[in-house]
Amino acid sequence: MKRSIIVTSATAVGLTGVMLFHTAPVGMTLGGLPTSAGASTGTGATTTTPTTVPATTSTVAAAPPPKTKKSGTTTTTPTTTAPTTTTTANGGTRSAIGEAVNYYFGVLSVKVTATGSKVTGVTISALQDGGNYRSQSIDQQSIPMLEQEALQAQSSNIQSISGASYTSAGFAQSLQSALKKLGI
Amino acid sequence: MRHHEEEVMGTVVTFDLFDERGFNDHAVDEAFARAAALLHDVDEVFSTWKPQSPMSRLRRGEIAVASAPSQVAEVLERCAYAKEVSGGWFDPWSMPGGVDPTGYVKGWAAQSSLAVLASLGAAGAIVNAAGDVAVAGQPKPTSGFRVGIVNPFDRSVLVCAVEVAGGVATSGDYERGSHLVNPFTGDTTTALASATVTGPDLGLADALATALVVGGREVLAFIEALSGYEAFLIGHDATWSTSSSFALASEVVL
Repeated sequence: MKRSIIVTSATAVGLTGVMLFHTAPVGMTLGGLPTSAGASTGTGATTTTPTTVPATTSTVAAAPPPKTKKSGTTTTTPTTTAPTTTTTANGGTRSAIGEAVNYYFGVLSVKVTATGSKVTGVTISALQDGGNYRSQSIDQQSIPMLEQEALQAQSSNIQSISGASYTSAGFAQSLQSALKKLGI
Repeated sequence: MRHHEEEVMGTVVTFDLFDERGFNDHAVDEAFARAAALLHDVDEVFSTWKPQSPMSRLRRGEIAVASAPSQVAEVLERCAYAKEVSGGWFDPWSMPGGVDPTGYVKGWAAQSSLAVLASLGAAGAIVNAAGDVAVAGQPKPTSGFRVGIVNPFDRSVLVCAVEVAGGVATSGDYERGSHLVNPFTGDTTTALASATVTGPDLGLADALATALVVGGREVLAFIEALSGYEAFLIGHDATWSTSSSFALASEVVL
């Protein structure tokens, strides 16, 4: 019981919240474009509970109605997170890195992978300290799972986690630019 | 225990209440709603992401502090204090784009929402605003709150746990897009990989953690001079150190 609380308290969840929260107003319209076979996009996107499949890929669905943030999320199995998969007739799997945003503080860019008009992966790439590019999956499920595992291994008696957090604004801005590059 | 998650301030804030005697569900729901409303109100006032927030308008010079909601003056006053006691290493006035108290606001807001929860009288209450944690009371009659600190080199593991009686905040260079600007040079390099600060005021703890990451071990002297504040530092070389009375609650594994 405690562990689930600990996980949801962690910053990675916060970032996911950011993604859901801030992407709605920027007007992404994945469902409006021709889609490749099998891609589930649009406002009919399914929503799963946040505790189902451990290693899933979060995708960004069509702009949800305001204040119904969770409805803008679809979880699918991770079939196309790498940009090296086969190309299909309708654009196939491709990725784009959004502009590096210097939003008051750090520099941040977001990499988006998509199949057709369906976003299959979102990754942060950031330049923060002396030219070290790092990337980190912000998968909606996997980071909390990793954190949960860490907690199981290391601690049986803590109530929360303190860690450096992400900032939403630069993320949303770069994400928008990456989606634009992909024509989504 | 009771749990609530609120999407606000561009992140998720969690509330947890602990009490072995049980809860009045209606009172808990009402307190969660009030604490959440407080956070949304703070977001409306201080968001630098919302162009029409009073803070954004202040940054653009469209309004003066005096005509902004009263919390703005309060927070800026607290930021001025944080700047002073950190030797200038935390400085919202040196941020590109104009004064930006964001580095103080999240912790301050979390602490304010905790006060709402604490008014319920539960044995223990905890608020986690994306890694800034404020606690009141105890989760169990015999033990206080313990908070894990994320490993800056591998976010999937914890470095250690710390006993917390007030607030704990961590800043690090793995914190993308955050307030890691050197106020003296304007660059974004950091002296440390991670800094954690505990203390009674979570907003100040957050500001001091940022000051430490940017300024490095020399900033530790400023924290030692502050009663009630302690720090835990991790260098880029994976060495760690603490201030004189940091309440480590576990081994440190790096």
